[in-house]
Amino acid sequence: MRPQREYHIVVLGAGVPMRRAQFVQNVWIESYDPTIEDSYRKQIEVDGRQCILEILDTAGTEQFTAMRELYMKQGQGFLLVFSITSMSSLNELSELREQIIRIKDDENVPIVIVGNKSDLEEDRAVPRARAFGLSQKWGNAPYYETSARRRANVNEVFVDLCRQIIRKDSEGSRTSSDPNRKREGPNRHDRKRDNRRPRRRGPCVIL
Amino acid sequence: MSVATMLQPASRQSRASSSSSSSFQPVARQNTMSSHDTRSLRQSKRMSVTALYLSMSAKDRDLEISDDLARAQKHLRDLKSRISSQSKKNFVLEKDVRYLDSRIALLIQNRMALEEQNEVASHLDDTADPQEGFFPNDERTQKYGNLLFLLQSEPRHIAHLCRLVSMAEIDSLLQTVMFTIYGNQYESREEHLLLTMFQSVLTYQFDNTPEYSSLLRQNTPVSRMMTTYTRRGPGQSYLKQVLADQINALIELRDVDLEINPLKVYESMIKQIEEETGSLPDYLARSVTAEDAAENAQVQAIIAPRLKMLTDIANGFITTIIDSVDEAPYGIRWICKQIRSLSRRKYPDAQDQTICTLIGGFFFLRFINPAIVTPRSYMLIDATPTDKPRRTLTLIAKMIQNLANKPSYAKEPYMASLQPFIQQNKERVNKFLLDLCEVQDFYESLEMDNYVALSKRDLELQITLNEMYVMHGLLEKHSASLAQDQYSHLSVLLQELGGAPPQVPRKENRTITVPLFSKWETALDDLTAALDITQEEVFFMEAKSTFVQILRSLPQNTSVARRPLRLDRIAEAAATLKNDAVMVRKGIRTMELLSQLQDMGVIDRSDEFSLLRDEVEQELVHLGSLKEKVLDETRKLEEVFATIRDHNAYLVGQLETYKSYLHNVRSQSEGKTRGGKTPKNQELGPYKFTHQQLEKEGVIRRSNVPENRRANIYFMFKSPLPGTFVISLHYKGRARGLLELDLKLDDLLEMQKDNLEDLDLEYVQFNVTKVLALLNKRFARKKGW
Repeated sequence: MRPQREYHIVVLGAGVPMRRAQFVQNVWIESYDPTIEDSYRKQIEVDGRQCILEILDTAGTEQFTAMRELYMKQGQGFLLVFSITSMSSLNELSELREQIIRIKDDENVPIVIVGNKSDLEEDRAVPRARAFGLSQKWGNAPYYETSARRRANVNEVFVDLCRQIIRKDSEGSRTSSDPNRKREGPNRHDRKRDNRRPRRRGPCVIL
Repeated sequence: MSVATMLQPASRQSRASSSSSSSFQPVARQNTMSSHDTRSLRQSKRMSVTALYLSMSAKDRDLEISDDLARAQKHLRDLKSRISSQSKKNFVLEKDVRYLDSRIALLIQNRMALEEQNEVASHLDDTADPQEGFFPNDERTQKYGNLLFLLQSEPRHIAHLCRLVSMAEIDSLLQTVMFTIYGNQYESREEHLLLTMFQSVLTYQFDNTPEYSSLLRQNTPVSRMMTTYTRRGPGQSYLKQVLADQINALIELRDVDLEINPLKVYESMIKQIEEETGSLPDYLARSVTAEDAAENAQVQAIIAPRLKMLTDIANGFITTIIDSVDEAPYGIRWICKQIRSLSRRKYPDAQDQTICTLIGGFFFLRFINPAIVTPRSYMLIDATPTDKPRRTLTLIAKMIQNLANKPSYAKEPYMASLQPFIQQNKERVNKFLLDLCEVQDFYESLEMDNYVALSKRDLELQITLNEMYVMHGLLEKHSASLAQDQYSHLSVLLQELGGAPPQVPRKENRTITVPLFSKWETALDDLTAALDITQEEVFFMEAKSTFVQILRSLPQNTSVARRPLRLDRIAEAAATLKNDAVMVRKGIRTMELLSQLQDMGVIDRSDEFSLLRDEVEQELVHLGSLKEKVLDETRKLEEVFATIRDHNAYLVGQLETYKSYLHNVRSQSEGKTRGGKTPKNQELGPYKFTHQQLEKEGVIRRSNVPENRRANIYFMFKSPLPGTFVISLHYKGRARGLLELDLKLDDLLEMQKDNLEDLDLEYVQFNVTKVLALLNKRFARKKGW
């Protein structure tokens, strides 16, 4: 048996955390439940491989945006969730993606766009074409519409994201140092290591 | 339009006027007084009228009183206006720093094109406060004055606008609304008008949210308004008062791990066993399921005391919050009250529990908890907490949140072990949330304040050109919906103003002072009629307030000031005072008033005018305790102001650092292209600092140097090249330094960006932010460091 792999996934997006409870537990929870941050694990099978997902479900509430940066540093893959009943929730995603790319310093971070509440078709405010348009703009980031209530597509979302992470991992190990990134001057990270170490002068002194 | 109709509360007016759009929900007038209690209604009116007179005469320059109370009040007023203007500055600075934070990160990573560098640089150059200026032409100033007066005194227009604008537009709108149009955070009229606008927007949201579950949940203009509102002075000082001590105590415990997620606990336990013994015993698997981890006896033994400690800490937070219910800012409480009454209206069958959940959704989720999980951005602490205290704070916030919610443990089953905490506290927290709502409405006094505002001749507003143009532009863009009726006041004013000018470059932005007044002004005489009071009452009020003024101006120990007061003697004493024309006038006026009131049969000379006398005496007692209150409030606000100023210094320092860094990067790249010409690269420093000095300034975070040796340690800072620094550590009597550290400004900025707090010098740890501030102060070169 191949060893299990563990990946860190961060769920970001508009204030719809309640709907996502379904992603893990097979119960529909009707409660008013604003989140600060929840973390849980989920085991899925991706192409015959068992993967453990460590999922961090974050607050959609803007008052907690100061915590976002930390989440983004920790995550390897990101679910950007909006509600198909709210156009503004879709518009918020661009800013999130920009921030992820900035923090990860990587244009190709594994991302999946998720349009949630597809069971509320009659209240749809975001046409599918709009969401696909966004997906194309983002270098064909996969787009799914899910319904927590109907349990539609929920697992697929995670499998897709996980597959992206695995692919990235194996690419990364083939090309050990990234030759595509242009840097001016000497590699800063090497220099930094030298500089931040104090240089000792003279004989050892015990204070 | 008469003043009477103009000054009606929004509800009456909008019902009568066809200009209101169908979607506009009128602000309901809620009268706090019960109908049978007419006496209190009358008294309250009387109090308000007194306030009106006092306030009007306070504007009268020659009636200035200069006793202790007046001085204390003036000091308080100045302080309040300083806080208001400073917190606006900080709001703007924060926006700049946020922008530059993200840009500088790219620059550090060498990922920014030269053009963009230039753009950032020009942004930085313009961050200075806009200078004062004037409109080239009076007519325009006047028209904008009319428009701003209308917007300020009839909040429904802005409320309506807030619902129309996009999330992208809302920030600049809110800046103008919260910090300029209603920018006097401690002035009751502006505060009340702002809250009225809040109510209108909240009502709309309640009426237009189909699902109860998503009420107040999404990021909407309302949620953005709430965030911005809680950032004003009163909200900040409340958070500091109830949270700062406990959070600071908590983050001191850097190594206390209170994780209660069994999986995480299991994993760190495994790691520790491996590190200590070098291997894992067979009975412990490397990875287990959450259920297995929770079953593990060792894990349970680790978690049990942590649950107790978390419960104790959270109880401490809750107790402090509950005990300071009276300290919660009026506006925040009033918003809670609106949430309660709107919920009851929308869901008549809702249980208290449901209502408490909604109130908690505002008070805890939007106000208290963000400050607990990210205390640094709320100025509660100086440094970002380390991982373990940060996790503890998050857990505490989650516990508090669960108190207000119907908690479900679907996602995190382990949180269920904190159920006893919920049960123990549920009742008192629900009671607290309902207590929060117990504040008085302000419609009565708002009406009065509006009259007062009308009577003032010198109402003015300081506003920048760009703020005004943004507002004008938004009104114009949405005029189809805002000004449907072409004869409405707003329509007329917008037509007169014409098209909105474009934004001016930041360099040309000016702060201008616009006098506010209504285009449809009416004579002050009508006010009395509108107030529905008799001539007798007007005389009575005037007599009372004039006597109070006289008594406050007379020396404390004058014989006429002895109780019981003899009003006729006081009037005579004032009227015959030498070298004080103002007092003489007041004295004569009170004599007239006494005799007129006597003729009207309101007061009686034979009982020493006891009716009036008693009220004057009461008023003086009231003023005496007022002074204590004023002094008390001043003390609190001094603290608030200090906090806001500290934060300002931090923001300005941050901007300065970025500025220097950017200049430095640019001059280096210029240097490259010009063939290595290196002008003014002379070495700066060295500057000497003692251990004690740096410790006191907080530059040294931790020191491993034994106490008795510290006096012999000193540091030298120099800058051989712009952007490069050398810090060396010396011991007295030795010629050479013990340690030397080369530093690049990039590295420090990057460390700061990554939230690394410690700069390691082996014997001591420096605080990165403080080092930056120090270098900044010492080595500021004209262009770059």
